[in-house]
Amino acid sequence: MESSQIADFNFSNQLKFNIQDLTSQEDSGESSDEFSPENEFLTEEHRKLYSQLTQKENEVENELEKLLSRHCHLETKIRGITKVLPNLEIIHSDAKQLYEMISFASTLAENVSHKVRKLDIARSRVSECQQRVHDLLDLQLCCDGVQTSMNSGDFEKAAAHIHRYLAMDQNLLEKTADDVHQDSKSVNNSISLLKEAAVKLQEILTSKFNDAVAKQDSNSVERFFKLFPLLGMHDYGIEKFSDYLVDKVETSSRKHMKTASETSLTDKRAAVLYSDLLTHLFEDIARTIETHQPLVETYYGPGRLLKLVCRLQDECDRASQAVLSEMWRSRGLEKLTSSIKSGTHKSRGDPKEFDQLLGELATAHSRYSLYLHFLRRKISMDTEEEKQPTVLAALEEKLKSCVLCRTMEELLSAYLILEHHYMEESVRKAIAMDTIESGSQCSSMIDDVFFIVKKSIRRASSTGSIDGVCAVINNACGVLENEMCTKLNATLKQGYPTGYLDLAQAYSMIHARLQPSDTEQAKSLFIAHLNNTEIGSEYVTTLASGLAQEVQCPTQTDRSKLEGCLSGLSSVCAAMGMAQDLGLQQLANAAIKPRLAPWIDSFLALSHNLTEEEFSSYEANEPFVRSLIANIDGIVSEFRSSLTSGNFESLVTFLADEVNSQMERVIMKMEFNRLGGLALEREVRALTGYLNSTTSMSIRERLARLGQVAKLLNMEKINEISDIWTRFNWRLAPGEVKKVLKLRVDFPKEEIMKLKL
Amino acid sequence: MEDYKFLFKVVLVGNAGVGKTCLVRRFTQGLFPPGQGATIGVDFMIKTVEIENEKVKLQIWDTAGQERFRSITHSYYRSAHALILVYDISCQPTFDCLPDWLKEIEEYASSKVLRVLVGNKIDRDDREIPTHVGEDFAQRHNMYYLETSAKESDNVENLFVKIATELMEQAKSKELPRYDEINSQNINRRTTSIDVTCCGN
Ligand SMILES: Nc1nc2c(ncn2[C@@H]2O[C@H](COP(=O)(O)OP(=O)(O)OP(=O)(O)O)[C@@H](O)[C@H]2O)c(=O)[nH]1
Ligand SMILES: [Mg+2]
Repeated sequence: MESSQIADFNFSNQLKFNIQDLTSQEDSGESSDEFSPENEFLTEEHRKLYSQLTQKENEVENELEKLLSRHCHLETKIRGITKVLPNLEIIHSDAKQLYEMISFASTLAENVSHKVRKLDIARSRVSECQQRVHDLLDLQLCCDGVQTSMNSGDFEKAAAHIHRYLAMDQNLLEKTADDVHQDSKSVNNSISLLKEAAVKLQEILTSKFNDAVAKQDSNSVERFFKLFPLLGMHDYGIEKFSDYLVDKVETSSRKHMKTASETSLTDKRAAVLYSDLLTHLFEDIARTIETHQPLVETYYGPGRLLKLVCRLQDECDRASQAVLSEMWRSRGLEKLTSSIKSGTHKSRGDPKEFDQLLGELATAHSRYSLYLHFLRRKISMDTEEEKQPTVLAALEEKLKSCVLCRTMEELLSAYLILEHHYMEESVRKAIAMDTIESGSQCSSMIDDVFFIVKKSIRRASSTGSIDGVCAVINNACGVLENEMCTKLNATLKQGYPTGYLDLAQAYSMIHARLQPSDTEQAKSLFIAHLNNTEIGSEYVTTLASGLAQEVQCPTQTDRSKLEGCLSGLSSVCAAMGMAQDLGLQQLANAAIKPRLAPWIDSFLALSHNLTEEEFSSYEANEPFVRSLIANIDGIVSEFRSSLTSGNFESLVTFLADEVNSQMERVIMKMEFNRLGGLALEREVRALTGYLNSTTSMSIRERLARLGQVAKLLNMEKINEISDIWTRFNWRLAPGEVKKVLKLRVDFPKEEIMKLKL
Repeated sequence: MEDYKFLFKVVLVGNAGVGKTCLVRRFTQGLFPPGQGATIGVDFMIKTVEIENEKVKLQIWDTAGQERFRSITHSYYRSAHALILVYDISCQPTFDCLPDWLKEIEEYASSKVLRVLVGNKIDRDDREIPTHVGEDFAQRHNMYYLETSAKESDNVENLFVKIATELMEQAKSKELPRYDEINSQNINRRTTSIDVTCCGN
């Protein structure tokens, strides 16, 4: 505080000095006043100097004033600081006090914790000591106990004693023996006795276990199996026990093989002999694992099952190999697949046999998938959460390299070749045997083909292999496109045969020597195949969404694979749709266009330049529209029940389009007056109303252009156009409107030209 | 509907161990997988690339080279838009098998399929097939040719981008059906679309 006051002083002193300096400068300035301006000897230069000096004086004076004004401000500040200074002193002393208190507390804490640590060490020594005493006591107990229980054949008790001994810290035990000087002999004695007993017990248990195995005494096997871990023989125990279980599985599978070899060909299981054998094998192993897993987990702890499973898998490899190679041979798979691959396969004999073989192969693979699933589930249940990835990876490693998996992959491959062949052949056959049953809109192929395709895909799905299902779906897409769509396309490309001859058709009919009944047949074939395209698209769509739901996908990758393959079915839909478009076009070209033209041409003969009288009789007779509707209705009812609803709607749409454009064509060749226009608009309305009533969809839009033409021709005065021009969504361009208006004989041409649209 | 304009199926084939899976992983995930095993059946990956401001979705099918998976892998040829035939430039036998692969492609794939020959593992210094030999082969069989290293990420992106670009150009000139049209095809003003994603996910 004092020092700062001093500094303060210094500062204000300095300020004063500076001020004195300045004033003295000013004084000297005043003295120069003696050179009065009147002095005649003064030169220009002096004058200049003088004015400079005066200017400087002013500047200095200003600065001085500024500084002086700040002086007062500074002084208040200094006063403020002086006031605060005592507080700082207080804070300083407080801090010092706090520091002392804290350092005292910390020393205190240090002391306390030191003591606690010491106490802790002492306590742990005490408990260690207690442990040693316990161990010593137990050692004696075990030593005495093991002898007696071994002698009396109570191996459970003996093993328990050895287990207790093994649980003691061996190093510590020996150190204790050294520490207890007077009694060291007896301790050492006990240790060596127990060591001996452990070895002896191991030998006894091993031989007893082997005896039990030899005698097939499963109770004793289990009894001794439980004791191995007490002697620290975990691995040994699992190994021996696995051997024992493998033996049992082997015996059972040999027995099954033997019965199988004696099965007569007429037996009802003969067709599924090998898938039955594999099923037995997988079930045997699964049951073995299922029943013994609790035993292993209880007495050996978790994580030991993998070893057992691996040993059993080796046996599974051996046994399945025997079954599969026999299957491969006796079912002639090698020959079948290679003859199909080379395209030399002759479908010999019973297709039912082929079907059965496919069923057997699919079942075999399905059992295998279930078996793998079982192993994975069991192993993951046997493993602690954090170890699961590594243990499961070890299992996968084992499975990947095992013979069973490789052989099953080969089996799946053979199955897929056969399934593809089956599907292709059956579909071809179904198409070749295509018939049209009365009362059905489609032909028989559509249901037959989809039945076959669905059956194949479902069977593939039962194998449990996503790659398998996906391959069959891919193949199905190929078969549907190459066989069915191609066939439908071929029929539709030939066109719809009409009985109504134009010259070209008559000519080709003579050449093809078609009988009228042939024409009828060809007609219904065309219609059925056109309907097939519509129903086929629907079936494909349903199939795809059905499969997306029913095929089981264990992983997200599997699901995206499946979806990727199912999207291939949409290109089948597209091919089907293209065939359908072609068919509809052909149908329209043959059955609508040529018939409609003459009917509509008859309109030309009916003058629409009418007097009142003519108009009334025209209205009464309806010479045109009534017969046109009757004629069109003939076409409509011809196809109403024979076409599927989508096709029928498309046909009616086409019909409407055709009426729309052909009517316009003839109207443009005619003349109208007001009453003629009125008659026309009524006729158009009747037509539109009729066509609209033929289907549930709205057809009016399709006839909008014709309606607008009629509306134009039915105007009372030409200037009505300015009123209605803004009210409608015109299908006619302004030029076309004018053209139509010119058909009205009573509208002056110049006025039409002048219209601004 | 997802946001993409074109969808193409790309199928990789070639002998076991030539690096098909590594190429796909490098392209789709940007990594070189250490010690992954041989492919079982087929693997499936999707990657969308942007070409000339258009999103192009590539469905990539990575097939197993081992013989016993052939009947699975053959089923993917037919609907492929592009086939990538891979061999290992440091392994003569993989090159010698190319004619057999071409025969399979002839038999199972569409005649319009885009075919690309790829010599992989150019990072290795024990090359057995010189570049010009691969190039000649490709030229004789009317294929594109590229050399890549999945390990060093050399030319991998380029391979797939080139394919996507080429396919897009073909599609634009209508040589190929466009998938987005097929997926919701308008047949006679009725919409036929297959929705396979109706369940799960
Ligand atoms: N040096 C080098 N090694 C590679 C390259 N690409 C792949 N490899 C190695 O080649 C081996 C086989 O690679 P994969 O990608 O599994 O071969 P694949 O063609 O998918 O084999 P399959 O699935 O059996 O048909 C692996 O050990 C890879 O590390 C490469 O560009 N350079
Ligand atoms: Mg691979």
